[in-house]
Amino acid sequence: MDNDNNIDFKDLWKKQSVSQPDMQDLLARVNKFKRAGLRSLWITNMLLFATTAFIVFVWIYYQPQFISTKIGIIVTILAMMIYLFVYNKLLSTYKSIETTQTNQEYLQNLILIKKKQQFLQTTMMRFYFATLTFGICLYMYEYASRMTFLGASLAYGLTLLWMAVNWFFILPKQIKKQQFKINSLIEKFEEINKQLL
Amino acid sequence: MEFEEIYKTYWDRIFRLCMGFVNDYDAAQDLAQETFIIVWQKLETFRNESSIGTWIFRIASNNCLRQIEKQKRFPKSELPIHLSEEKQTSLEPQIQFLYKCIAELPETERIIISLELEDVRQAEIAKIIGLSEANVRVKIHRIKEKLTQKFKENGQR
Repeated sequence: MDNDNNIDFKDLWKKQSVSQPDMQDLLARVNKFKRAGLRSLWITNMLLFATTAFIVFVWIYYQPQFISTKIGIIVTILAMMIYLFVYNKLLSTYKSIETTQTNQEYLQNLILIKKKQQFLQTTMMRFYFATLTFGICLYMYEYASRMTFLGASLAYGLTLLWMAVNWFFILPKQIKKQQFKINSLIEKFEEINKQLL
Repeated sequence: MEFEEIYKTYWDRIFRLCMGFVNDYDAAQDLAQETFIIVWQKLETFRNESSIGTWIFRIASNNCLRQIEKQKRFPKSELPIHLSEEKQTSLEPQIQFLYKCIAELPETERIIISLELEDVRQAEIAKIIGLSEANVRVKIHRIKEKLTQKFKENGQR
């Protein structure tokens, strides 16, 4: 250590104190992780199943007469299913990025997945909302047609107002927030990737 | 190689790599644990194409890179774990200074120098990072110069 140009970094490096946790604790954590993963999968699917069951129940119990009602129901269910499907798929590709490749390959994969996520979050969210609105409007038609003109206008007006608030205010805000996060991550990963060039 | 054996052999090395990356004892502990969880899950798929060391260091360094994202998403340490030992921090200021300097380097340089200090061969480092060996050699040389410079400026000799 006396020589200016020859600091023994290796020696210093290895002097860092280290405490090795008990391996059993680690394995316990593995199981915890697994259980948490299964639970979230279960919850997502239960929610989907419950909503579908409810809509099917409505279909059977109220016996809609109009074809528009039935199409509305199908479109609404499809919108939810497609959204959940895409979301789950993205999640699983994300979880299964090969961690044993080189840093360079890994970084490129991370960037790619983030870009996919960026696209999905905007396009899919818009698609989901548009389809949902369309489905609900179709579904309401049968019941609205039995109401007075005022009642029907009110029902459609309120529904469309709610959807408009979502479409023009809540959704863009949410997308902007998510985009900001993803963009800054992509930027960061690209910057790191450049260090390797 | 059995997991237990890997765990015992590599824990210290992986922990130091993570520590060099984040310079935070708890965060490094978390990162090292995550690394071994992945190792435990993937051990079956390990086919001696590379040495086990290269394989594990790849997982560890990729996990370090990925935590950049988690840093922004989750609060630190979602699942606290009971350590069998008391938390220790190195008392020697020189050691602390070294880790601090390394953690301030660009991300890939942190990984490269940590591996070098762990006595990983340069050919192996090249395989872990995904660079040519010549490139790695140049980088190591430059990083060491940077560190020496910082130590001099700080009067830490």
